[in-house]
Amino acid sequence: MRILTKTSLYYLLVSVIVFLLGGLSFYKILQTEIYDEVDDQLFTDKENIIEYIRRYNELPNVTSGISEAIIVRETSTHAGALEALSDTLIFSTYDEEYVPFRKLTFTTYQDGKPFEYTILKSLMDFEDLFESTMLAMAWIFVLLLIGLAGVNYFINKYNWRNFYDTLERAKRYSLTQRKPLLLKPTDTQEFQELNEVLQAMTGKIHNDYLNLKEFTENASHEIQTPLAIVSSKLELFMQSDNLTPAQAAMLEEMHASINRLSRLNRSLILLTRIENREFSENEVIPLHELLQEQLDQLQEMMLMHDIQVEIEDMQPVFVEMNIGLCEILISNLLLNAIRHNSTGGIIRISLKADELCIKNSGEPLQEEPVTLFERFRSGSKLSGSMGIGLALVSKISELYQLQPSYTYEEGLHVLRLKFQKNVS
Amino acid sequence: MKLLIIEDEQALNVSMVAYLQQGGYTCDTALNYHDGSRMLANHHYTCVLVDLTLPGGNGLDLVRSLKKNSPDTGIIIISAKNALDDKITGLELGADDYLTKPFHLSELNARLRSVIRRRNFNGQKVIQIGDLEVFPESAEALVQGRKLTLTKKEYDLLLYFVTNKNRVLTKDSIAEHLWGDHIESLDSLDFVYTHIKNLRRKLVEAGGEDPITTVYGMGYKFSF
Repeated sequence: MRILTKTSLYYLLVSVIVFLLGGLSFYKILQTEIYDEVDDQLFTDKENIIEYIRRYNELPNVTSGISEAIIVRETSTHAGALEALSDTLIFSTYDEEYVPFRKLTFTTYQDGKPFEYTILKSLMDFEDLFESTMLAMAWIFVLLLIGLAGVNYFINKYNWRNFYDTLERAKRYSLTQRKPLLLKPTDTQEFQELNEVLQAMTGKIHNDYLNLKEFTENASHEIQTPLAIVSSKLELFMQSDNLTPAQAAMLEEMHASINRLSRLNRSLILLTRIENREFSENEVIPLHELLQEQLDQLQEMMLMHDIQVEIEDMQPVFVEMNIGLCEILISNLLLNAIRHNSTGGIIRISLKADELCIKNSGEPLQEEPVTLFERFRSGSKLSGSMGIGLALVSKISELYQLQPSYTYEEGLHVLRLKFQKNVS
Repeated sequence: MKLLIIEDEQALNVSMVAYLQQGGYTCDTALNYHDGSRMLANHHYTCVLVDLTLPGGNGLDLVRSLKKNSPDTGIIIISAKNALDDKITGLELGADDYLTKPFHLSELNARLRSVIRRRNFNGQKVIQIGDLEVFPESAEALVQGRKLTLTKKEYDLLLYFVTNKNRVLTKDSIAEHLWGDHIESLDSLDFVYTHIKNLRRKLVEAGGEDPITTVYGMGYKFSF
């Protein structure tokens, strides 16, 4: 969750809780005030009635007074000065609904006879006032909430803009680009510190990276010439007429090892060059044609291993890549499918607009699929395999933002390449 | 046929000369840019093998001037760089082929033959060894006048043998010649064995002798 969303949400949450509590206490206070007022009026009426009876010794006209209704009833019980306040609902024929009333019941005496008085006071007006006030308050709260949340959001956004800028630049930063990480200066102290730390860190990493790269490149290139010399001398040596079988065997082994080393070195140089983005000349390649071409080239190998190829789907797909790298990519995928297959196995190929999928039969993996695309990983220790093929696939995929993935489905190894951008 | 080898690495230079001289070439050598440049100015060569990183200058400049002054000389670039740009520039400038170090001498020899063959239209159109005739232009081979039915790979293999006749060819170099970089993850040696078996059978069935001998465990030798 973005920090802006997060702070805004916390802010909203706290505001809502505060407003709810505030609203609730406001409601309670207002209600108490209203009841106090109504009760005061009821008691005033009561006092008036008692005063009237005392002065005129007759029951007052029931329609007089502030209250809506006064009900008088003779009572026989001598309950003393009974006095009770309560709420009640009375059906109003005019409004056709129950209307809330506050009721004061008390007993008074006229000529020694007890009369029970019930004074009723409608709460309708107060209720209306109450509702309007609450509504107005609610509106004020809501508007305030939105306003404050909005202001808070924009202030935060303004404050954090430098941070986002830094984040964006750091995200786009790539070691392989030769540019240092440039960050906008900011007047927020923490962000400025962050920028400085980031710049110092990337500068250091970049230097280390360059040193390492230079070393690898130099080492790989410098190795080529001595390799060429040893290899050529061995080849000349082999032409000698008077070799013993034991010497011949030794020469053969040396020659095979030198070859292996040469190929390994060549692959490493290729990997380095892909990492250095030295293959910048891209062209639009018909992938379906290239795939077919590579399949034809590898046909005899598949025949030899008695591997059946089933083409499930072969749609015309065009990708923009360097042709050399694209060939390496496809041939390595196919070679991998042949190499890790079993005799009499199958390879299923499907090429669709958004993905290339190559499935092959074979023993399940012994190790984690994650390590599959790493250098020098060869599942089974087959001779001659250097486990660099899939590392190349992974590097090339990375260069062109293809997403390679591996799964094991229904006894088949499945390697998928997802195409992001598709030129068609 | 006269060759000039411009390569600053003395040991490698010597190897190339030793291998190519056995094939009947006369070889001059130069160890730096200036010697190379001088020798190119004073002599005429059938083909020049040139390294790109030379003391005193860039091999590409030699290719450029050679192309201008002596356009019928074949050029093969030998480089440790394997940089695609150099390869493209080299070939664009008119080099006939490009080999990356390290390479097999037999491969170098095959490429050299092929360059000379391609450049020399009036020359040898058939390679004859005993009763075997190979026609590189039409990619055909005859034994005692009878045409051999060969697959593409078998023909390539035969031509490779013929070009490097009387030499021991290792299985690795044959595999690399036939399959290029693909061999890295192949059980290539089995393929080589199968192809050689088939080629031998076809040569023998056509009435010839078996010209291919197995040299210990090292490789194969084609001889008449």
